[in-house]
Amino acid sequence: MSIEPDQKITRRRLLRQGAAGSALLAAGPLLASSPARAAELRHTADARAAASIKKGGTLTFARSVAPTQLDPANSIIAGDVYTLDKIMEPLYVTSPAGALTPWLAESHTVSSDNLTWTFNLRKGVKFSNGNALTAKDVVFSIHRAATNKNGPLSFLDAAIKTIKASGSNQVVVKLSEPWAPFLSDISVFANAIIPANYGGVTEKAFFAKPVGTGPFVLNSFSPSSNLTLMPNRHYWQSGKPYVDKVQINYVSDDNQRVLQLQGGQAEIIDAVPPANVASLKATSGIDIGLFAAWEVDLLVFNEKLPYFADRHVRRAITHAIDREALVKATSFGTAKPGGSFFPPSLQYYAANTPLLNFSLSAAKAELAQSKYPHGFSTKLLISGGVQKWSEFAQVIQQALAPLNIKVAITALDHAAYEQAFQGFHYEMFIDYAINDISDPDEMASFEVDVKNGGSTSYWSSYDNPTAISLVHKAEAEFNDAKRADLYAQIQAIVAGDAPFVPLDYPPYIYGTTSKVNGFAVNPGGAYRLENVWLS
Amino acid sequence: MIGVASATFLLLHAVPGDPAREILGEHATARSVAALNHSWGLDRSLWHQFVRYIGDLARLRLGNSFVSGTSVTSLIAARIGQTAALVGIATVFAVLITVPLAAVAASHRDRVHDHAVRGLSVLGLGMPSFWVGIVLIEVFAVHLKLLPVGGAGSGIGGHLEALILPGFTAALAIVPLLVRSLRVGMLEVLNADFVAAERANGLGEVRVLVWHVARNALIPTLTLLGLNIAYLVGSTVIVEQVFALNGLGFLLLQSITARDFPVVQAITLVLALSVVAINLVTDLVAARLDPRIRLR
Repeated sequence: MSIEPDQKITRRRLLRQGAAGSALLAAGPLLASSPARAAELRHTADARAAASIKKGGTLTFARSVAPTQLDPANSIIAGDVYTLDKIMEPLYVTSPAGALTPWLAESHTVSSDNLTWTFNLRKGVKFSNGNALTAKDVVFSIHRAATNKNGPLSFLDAAIKTIKASGSNQVVVKLSEPWAPFLSDISVFANAIIPANYGGVTEKAFFAKPVGTGPFVLNSFSPSSNLTLMPNRHYWQSGKPYVDKVQINYVSDDNQRVLQLQGGQAEIIDAVPPANVASLKATSGIDIGLFAAWEVDLLVFNEKLPYFADRHVRRAITHAIDREALVKATSFGTAKPGGSFFPPSLQYYAANTPLLNFSLSAAKAELAQSKYPHGFSTKLLISGGVQKWSEFAQVIQQALAPLNIKVAITALDHAAYEQAFQGFHYEMFIDYAINDISDPDEMASFEVDVKNGGSTSYWSSYDNPTAISLVHKAEAEFNDAKRADLYAQIQAIVAGDAPFVPLDYPPYIYGTTSKVNGFAVNPGGAYRLENVWLS
Repeated sequence: MIGVASATFLLLHAVPGDPAREILGEHATARSVAALNHSWGLDRSLWHQFVRYIGDLARLRLGNSFVSGTSVTSLIAARIGQTAALVGIATVFAVLITVPLAAVAASHRDRVHDHAVRGLSVLGLGMPSFWVGIVLIEVFAVHLKLLPVGGAGSGIGGHLEALILPGFTAALAIVPLLVRSLRVGMLEVLNADFVAAERANGLGEVRVLVWHVARNALIPTLTLLGLNIAYLVGSTVIVEQVFALNGLGFLLLQSITARDFPVVQAITLVLALSVVAINLVTDLVAARLDPRIRLR
């Protein structure tokens, strides 16, 4: 059995080491990229963990999002995704450091033409009903996800041409074209494995009480409300999970979650408001974890409008926004200022991307070269009720005033806001872009490939044929160094064209009581609870 | 009720926002969004949808939630008890706080006690429920650890314990109005001849106040209480959010955000029905207390 080193070295321990811990946390991806160092740490952590782990207890988790249903192939909202992944697991998972890790598959091989991928299943894995995991189950599950017309993430399986079992322990996938992100795609929660033909019951009955290979089984579930998980007695990682029960409570109110943590009613809370971080850090018995996310907050320009079609205008606005100051004013030191449209935690992030840094004189010079040297009036659309967006909007409004760009802020409720920007009924809008998988192709194509990316370049209509061609090249490139170079070029082009301003890189912020050990979150926002124990 | 159902339906469909987009996420293709809307019948004309909705309603079919796929009836059934318990406890608290405060104020007219009660009423009116709730949690749950911070609790004792702070918070929103109303009512009765006669007969002040004055002043207060219970039902949206009680009000809020039309429509109807029922019960009780009131 192999567990990735960073899961063994619990973030809790790192967090308790204060500044040094923070530095190590930030270096998470670095640790994973150094096998010798990782092995050393794993050895030390294994020894420490084995000596101190306590079993038992109920883990109460107050979450800002509610589970509504548990079908992996039909899920996209966090409340569903981060619940069902405790019950059903894919062939590979993404570790807290962002690395792909063999999970239900022990290993895989790729043919020389990069079209045939063979997955060797882990032996001895059983579903929670006691039945052994077979290749037939994998074929059924992935085929179901790939062909689901309404599947929010079924596009990630688009490269699959055929999927077949080869014996009971091997699955062979043939792709329609060489597709470098495939291993990442296969690791997405939508491709979680369930018993073939739902184990003999109807689809509806199955997902009311799903069976999976995950560390937990569903005990009770009230849709859009609370949920209880109990340990899976057949879990393939023997001895895990450590806790006797997980109680997931839906607590949407930020204050209530923080108070539940302070009052000892919840052991873990998610989405801690940045404004509360400092005071909670100073509270004895409470720890705060900042986990790097594949997430970027963006200011997006509607290039269908003449002034935002002008590259100089977009560059001028990018120069005019002081992202360091914006982050300081709004994130209470939790986020990092934006630069590249790839977040630093994402694979192939290029730290040396040439950026349009804050400079009012450069902003004025750019605007002077545009068709709108004397400025113009525009509107900024935000989702109402999100404090951060409102603060961002005000900072941007003030930042653009020296360019004589007058910004009127429009706040709509979330559904109306989404409909507005997705229908191009906006001039500028603020949103967050996320990557669901460890490979950056999703973010690159979604934000750059105007025709095939699925979002008209994040609803900006940005169209740069060179960047699009590089995105396609990177999708078919299997050499790591060459892919890195292609993505560096894409990041440089996008930074120069400025179709959107990456405002900041916010982390996932979790609060835990000191009783909680072994809790870690991957950059996609997923957390595995089989390693969590209560002291 | 048909008016409420029609208004809810039309307002929901007039507000921008696509339920399929909310569920399928940003990666959804236009085709999959259209397919999902088709499966819900949202691609039909508004008139067609409306006729179908009213027809289903007549057959007591509330449909399934767009978000979870479960029946709306089961979603409501799982939460209605929570909300009813909250409203019930809040009402009890409101009465328990109102009667003594109004009695003290009325019996000490224009003196310190009266001014204090009236001042507190004005202060109470200005305090929003979400703020009061947080302060109560901070004091009684986080620092004194006497009561739970939030959630529904488990077991009958746990449920009741978990409802104390939310019930008190909800009650405080209506207490100021009730106190002022009962005080005025009591003052009117205090000046009545029969009160002077009872005092002259040697009845104690407490007995006069509670047994005779309060009882006679109760009718207008009861009417006001009935109206305010209806207000309480509406205010559960905020109180449930602050105290993480997954009741009807909270589900309503979630469902509006997600554009879960069947759930919003059904909860609105249930809340409207409950308001009608509360007003009916209030009238019946008032008629029982005061023989002069007769239902026609």
